[in-house]
Amino acid sequence: MTIRHHASDESLLRYAAGQLPAGPARVLAVHLATCPCCRERLAAFEAVGGALLEATAPAPMAPDAFAAALRAIDREEAARAPATPAPTHLEARARPRAPVTLPGGIPLPAPLQDCEIGPWRWIGLGVRASTVRLPEDPEARLTLLRVGPGRKLPEHGHVGTEFTQVISGSFSDGFGRYGPGDLSEMDQEIEHQPIVDREGDCYCLAALEGSMRLNGFFGRLVQPFVRL
Amino acid sequence: MKDDGVPDGDELARLIGQVATERDRQAYARLYSYFAPRLNAFLRRSGLPPNTAEEIAQEVMLSVWRKASYFDPARAGAATWIFTIARNLRIDHLRRLRTASAGEEEPVEVETAPSGETLLLTAEREARVREALKTLSDEQATVLRLSFFSEKAHSEIARELGLPLGTVKSRVRLALGRLRVLLEGHT
Ligand SMILES: [Zn+2]
Ligand SMILES: [Zn+2]
Repeated sequence: MTIRHHASDESLLRYAAGQLPAGPARVLAVHLATCPCCRERLAAFEAVGGALLEATAPAPMAPDAFAAALRAIDREEAARAPATPAPTHLEARARPRAPVTLPGGIPLPAPLQDCEIGPWRWIGLGVRASTVRLPEDPEARLTLLRVGPGRKLPEHGHVGTEFTQVISGSFSDGFGRYGPGDLSEMDQEIEHQPIVDREGDCYCLAALEGSMRLNGFFGRLVQPFVRL
Repeated sequence: MKDDGVPDGDELARLIGQVATERDRQAYARLYSYFAPRLNAFLRRSGLPPNTAEEIAQEVMLSVWRKASYFDPARAGAATWIFTIARNLRIDHLRRLRTASAGEEEPVEVETAPSGETLLLTAEREARVREALKTLSDEQATVLRLSFFSEKAHSEIARELGLPLGTVKSRVRLALGRLRVLLEGHT
């Protein structure tokens, strides 16, 4: 998979800082899982966080804070069975159930495996949508879109930034062609008209950043689902 | 436990290693005295009330004890690793406020395969990021800090600073451009 469209500096910086809302953050997580280049940029922005942390003028903790930390550690060590080997990182994240797939057997990206995927609904213009619920934030607005081959969405603008990660298939708009692994970030001032390529369905994961006052085509498209 | 000088990155990484392998409480005490007050201040700056900031700083330090064996100097420097723990616990905290039922879910983390080479590159990256930060103008540093300490998008930051969005974006771009050399070295 050749990735041509990447996360913007602003978004990666906000992701690194932990300041991106949950929905867009998941879209970025899906992108990062397959994009070593953005992972490297993220690591640099996280290093900015490390440097800012070290540069922060210390604010003293309560006088007994360290003693309290040691007591907490003592309690934990006592509770733990002796010499349980630490689980490896992968084991620690073992999945509780079989991997979820999308219609057509397309695997759901690993960073979404803990999400609840809603039923697919026909919403017109060759578009089906399914709501993705995040366990950590039920209010996050995240949608899987499945758009039929050759479908042309109406030209539209955006209220907040629209994050769209292509999972399979491809589409094009005035800014380029987006294939599997590509991330499209559309600013509020930008208008575009995505057209899905003829080869097959295009599956995308989309999130909008912004308030509930959604408008524009995408907003109308998603609104009925985000309110579920 | 006296603070005998400010430990550097290598020293901090070594201390975390000692906590991981020997459960060394003296090493932990040094980490604590260096990081806890900085975490406390950092978390306050990111908008948490003082009590909460201190609670989470304490949580972060307990995680450092628990997770020391996960620290991988090939992936991040000590301060960067601890920053990401604080970031994740802060996110968890804010989500718990909104959804009383949220579990102990770990935020999604991306796996990378470290090697001897990445170990070197990581040390270099950390050093170069620090160098780059020193060369920022006040304006660039301000927008970069705002990106870290506020959850606002750049368009909102622009509105608050009374600047055109383009100006904020270009300051961020210039600030990040200082990191560009090192970013491009890896892509
Ligand atoms: Zn990328
Ligand atoms: Zn759009």
